[in-house]
Amino acid sequence: MLFRKWVRHSTFIEFSDSPWTPFEKDISTCRLALVTTGGVHLALQKPFDMKDPAGDPTFREIPADARPADLKITHNYYDHADADKDVNIIFPIERVQELRQSSEIGDVNHRHFSFMGHIMKRHINTLMKESAPRVAAALKSDHVDIVILTPA
Amino acid sequence: MGLIQRIIEATGIATISISLSKNISQKVLPPRAVYTGLPLGHPLGFPGQTFRQKQVLRLLLIYLKNLNSPGTIAELDLTDSGDDSVACDICSLG
Repeated sequence: MLFRKWVRHSTFIEFSDSPWTPFEKDISTCRLALVTTGGVHLALQKPFDMKDPAGDPTFREIPADARPADLKITHNYYDHADADKDVNIIFPIERVQELRQSSEIGDVNHRHFSFMGHIMKRHINTLMKESAPRVAAALKSDHVDIVILTPA
Repeated sequence: MGLIQRIIEATGIATISISLSKNISQKVLPPRAVYTGLPLGHPLGFPGQTFRQKQVLRLLLIYLKNLNSPGTIAELDLTDSGDDSVACDICSLG
């Protein structure tokens, strides 16, 4: 209910169309990367800033071979008690490796990326002009074919 | 998250996301999204449900291949049952 109230009273940037990259590849040959907005980061990395009410528009790079025990969630705007028990429910880092092992996908990129999804007005520009383009360019330079994005 | 997805897609990488809010997705219009009905904080289900988590990923890959119209939000309901066979049936669509 609180979430619905937040959605009703928040302003979102609205679009009337979407960018589009046609997908015609064989999935079993594709390289896949994950991007989450669940506030996941390596325990050794700087946590997302929870003091700024407008959020934190920065991102964290997560090595694909990170273990769940290496990861932490810093995000005060959703209940991550279950994700703390099993990070795969918001960031399926182990599940994508299993899809690779069973040859359902070709490869897992050597890195994934994580944001903190509660980003408001004055940080939106940083997100759209700096952080997200940097992540997109990194994924492109890694020759990633598929990105799966998971919210929280 | 849809804003980030739009920027990645625009660089020439095919993307698909899980939507937890149809309302937000209909405004932000990510290129491809699947609304699963799963609750906040649980886009792939619940702790320890490894098979189900993987089935949700398989489902996303099927929709990635099959959605042909920019801005489509596929609507599903994976909330009815914790029975893995439900997701399995959906995946057989692919």
